[in-house]
Amino acid sequence: MADIQHERAFQKQHIFLNAKQVGAKKRNQRWFKDVGLGFKTPKEAIEGHYIDKKCPFTGNVSIRGRILTGTIVSAGKMKRTIILRREYLHYVKKYNRYEKRHRNLAAHMSPCFIGVENGDLATVGQCRPLSKTVRFNVLKIQKAVSGSKQFKKF
Amino acid sequence: MGISRDSRHKRAHTGAKRAQYRKKRKFELGRQPANTKIGVTRVHHVRVRGGNTKFRALRLDTGNFSWGSEATTRKTRILDVVYNASNNELVRTKTLVKGAIVEIDATPYRQWYEAHYATPLGRKSKKGAEQAEEEINKTRSSRVQRKVDARQATAKVDPHLEQQFAKGRLIAAIASRPGQSGRADGYILEGKELEFYLRKITSKR
Repeated sequence: MADIQHERAFQKQHIFLNAKQVGAKKRNQRWFKDVGLGFKTPKEAIEGHYIDKKCPFTGNVSIRGRILTGTIVSAGKMKRTIILRREYLHYVKKYNRYEKRHRNLAAHMSPCFIGVENGDLATVGQCRPLSKTVRFNVLKIQKAVSGSKQFKKF
Repeated sequence: MGISRDSRHKRAHTGAKRAQYRKKRKFELGRQPANTKIGVTRVHHVRVRGGNTKFRALRLDTGNFSWGSEATTRKTRILDVVYNASNNELVRTKTLVKGAIVEIDATPYRQWYEAHYATPLGRKSKKGAEQAEEEINKTRSSRVQRKVDARQATAKVDPHLEQQFAKGRLIAAIASRPGQSGRADGYILEGKELEFYLRKITSKR
């Protein structure tokens, strides 16, 4: 439990923890919320011990605006953020054809999502700016469909 | 002012260098930091956007600190800055900022406690015990005495806090922004948070 305190400041959710204990109350007082729009708040967010003020479920951000999806191209390199790749087709009128284009999107990923790898599908929701480039927060992860015809190295 | 808060001077997400196409605007301005110190109160007014006022505290000596578990708040003197998670320099220069851990005078809280629970708190010396005696054993009406007796059940105070009361100084965290509101208000540290910061303070020394 104390192993979440890696920083120089005391990591906590901004709830009042020190009410006098007359009887032994339930330990691990944790605050969490329902982000709305039908997104289920993960079990790990409710039962976990991590502190993340930018988590949509246990932190101080609200999800409003756009909800986008993309595939994860980079997870685990940055602290609690991932890069998503969103592909789209752009129509070229002269040739009556389409061309592939893509955009990368930086999104904040809460520690409640564990075991996330490159190639998974992520659904992200817009929130207030969390850093220079991050304006989205991961709400749901779907595992990549492991191609039956593709080899996967262990 | 020379300080601006725009992002036009920064590189884009792709790494591209952005060309400057307009001058700095007034709505992007930033001001010099307050660097609030401990001392006789000195607060300057600043007129800000929209005609509103900010109170830039340059020196403060008191603050309104609350004792969470007892739900009382008292105005006390701030004695010393003891720890700052962001910057050790701010501890050395005794700068009051939000999130700074400070030592505050314990007397108002002790007085409240002794009147509320009628038990001495953190009194070691004989003289201290005598001072407490007056407050504890003063005559009260029977109604009030019953109330006071009923409170004895919850009168226990955490041993870390008792030690601090014995020294006459409590450890608290500042929760307001002195350079914005002109006040250094906060809360007394308790429980896990208190243990965490006590460890940090002692390991520094």
